Amino acid sequence: MLFKIYKKEMIDSFRDKRTLLLTVLLPILMMSALTFFYESLISDGEDETYTLAVEEDISAEQETILGTLDKVELLRAENPEQAFIDGEVQAAIVFADNFDAEVQAGEAGNVELIGDTFSQKSSNLIYLVSGELAEYEQIVVAERLQQANIDPSITQAVAVEQRETNTEDSNIQVLALLIPLILSIAIGVGAAPSAADIFAGEKEKKTMEALLMTPVNRSTLLMAKYLTISSVGVIIGIITLAVVAIEIAFFTEHLKAAISFGDNMVAIIGMGALVTLVYSFFVGALLMITSIVGKTVKEAQSYSTPIMMVLIFPMMMISGLGVNEFTMNHFILPFVNIFAILTELLFGVVNYGHIFMTIGSNLVCIIIIFIISRILFSKDKWVMN
Amino acid sequence: MLTMNVTNQKRDGNEMIEIQNVTKRFQDKKLSITALNHVSFTVHAGEIVGLLGENGAGKTTLLRSIATLLTPTEGQIVVKGYDTVKKPDEIKKRMGVLFGGETGLYNRMTARENLEYFAALYHLSKHETKVRIDELTKMFGMRDFLDRKVDGFSKGMRQKMAIARAIIHDPEIILFDEPTTGLDITASNVFRQLVQELKTQGKTIIFSSHIMEEVDMLCDHIAMIHKGELIYHGEKEALYEEENSRDLNYIFMSKLVRGTDGYAI
Repeated sequence: MLFKIYKKEMIDSFRDKRTLLLTVLLPILMMSALTFFYESLISDGEDETYTLAVEEDISAEQETILGTLDKVELLRAENPEQAFIDGEVQAAIVFADNFDAEVQAGEAGNVELIGDTFSQKSSNLIYLVSGELAEYEQIVVAERLQQANIDPSITQAVAVEQRETNTEDSNIQVLALLIPLILSIAIGVGAAPSAADIFAGEKEKKTMEALLMTPVNRSTLLMAKYLTISSVGVIIGIITLAVVAIEIAFFTEHLKAAISFGDNMVAIIGMGALVTLVYSFFVGALLMITSIVGKTVKEAQSYSTPIMMVLIFPMMMISGLGVNEFTMNHFILPFVNIFAILTELLFGVVNYGHIFMTIGSNLVCIIIIFIISRILFSKDKWVMN
Repeated sequence: MLTMNVTNQKRDGNEMIEIQNVTKRFQDKKLSITALNHVSFTVHAGEIVGLLGENGAGKTTLLRSIATLLTPTEGQIVVKGYDTVKKPDEIKKRMGVLFGGETGLYNRMTARENLEYFAALYHLSKHETKVRIDELTKMFGMRDFLDRKVDGFSKGMRQKMAIARAIIHDPEIILFDEPTTGLDITASNVFRQLVQELKTQGKTIIFSSHIMEEVDMLCDHIAMIHKGELIYHGEKEALYEEENSRDLNYIFMSKLVRGTDGYAI
């Protein structure tokens, strides 16, 4: 009987074109946009060329300082600042009239750099030009010290050697945020329309009464409907991840380069799939309870909105943490643990203790939510409008 | 208030539905509403009972209680020997219900899929389901739209389908709650013909209605409810004789004015 109800609910869920649009197409589009956004974020500035406004009468010496910037094109302007304000360039540089003479005289040459740090392009250009000026300054200082018979190395009081323990591609951090975020949103957004339709929708359309008049046990009904919501979540999660994986593999460069599971590939993908499955059932249980409480589809959707927000909130909590900074709490706390465990897996760490904690915590929550749902589903108030 | 201690009444073994001193109160945070107040009457096998009452009188609450969907606050309802609270599944197997103009159908499924689904829920085998769908298709003239999605059905088609859905398991007892509400004349006539057909099959039927002509045409027994209390239950012809009138509308209104004990309510 369970299977018969489940089969009917699944067919019914995927027959609705509007639900199908919200359930499948929307998450895929959203996640694709997110993938390409992250890709562009990583590659931002890499292939970019910039235009820097300089004065028309810029000296050959000054041009040499800037000439080493191969991505920067110089635009000679009567008023460089105005050219920047007019949007013709991303930044402007104005050397003081006596810049060359002052530098030659062993004094500080003044330079004015004009830009807008709110603009990513302008920030990038200012960063590049500042770097060039700093390099030029080092050369000038070294020359001055040599002229004074002082070894330029005297200026280096501390020699810092930075050693990075993380051998992963730095872009893996972006993927570690992107993948759990994609999963959370896809499962939540994907399963929500079905969840709302399956209980609140049945109450609204009065099919619930017809259903309750059949000699089918309410627990069986509840379980079949719960399995449907969770299955829709699992299916959407898998489809979305598959689409994103294809997009990363064929249409991105940096994100693709960041993925390297090494020898643990099977374990990482297997465990990733397992925690995703359990997480879908957890989200399904939460959405089920909002639908039972809602008298109409609209009401159920209103109740599920805060859940959607809670689903993505943990990303902000763990986004700045390295995998070695995760504590037991990160793997026990529902909502947070899916982000923590997927981050660990994406960094190539397969910690079965953490996986057990994550799955166990979600299963306990599922059982508690299911018991509450069963109690609600036996009450006249929640079953019939 | 018309209450009878059914357990003390003379029983003839033909009792199908025994409503025994039933009270149903809905409790909100601050408000307590008594939808049914010590209602008692018995429906025998093969009877067609018309349940009359104003909006909010308690008709739907009574039908839902008989249908095991609501639990009485006090009293007991026994259907074919089974208590509605203790043995709801035994009752559900023997009862078909159609509530208040709602069809209880899934719009994205075809008529056949709807019937097959409910047949499965009533534990009918594949063979029984096929035979029953054939019978109902013939009975209700549904052949032309059996394999079409319910979404595009007219009200009349929906109503036929809804009744077919409610009786897919060939129940002995059928409850209809204002089944012709919102239906046009043609669809209403279809329903009336179907009830006549079910009557000839010996089904026990209770249906609530505002339409006195419909009740007069189809019912042999009348139950009247006012503000949760039963103000009359008995044979239709006996009521006409007692009131010296065959105008059910007039009788109903005068009953409301006089109340259960002959006093104005």
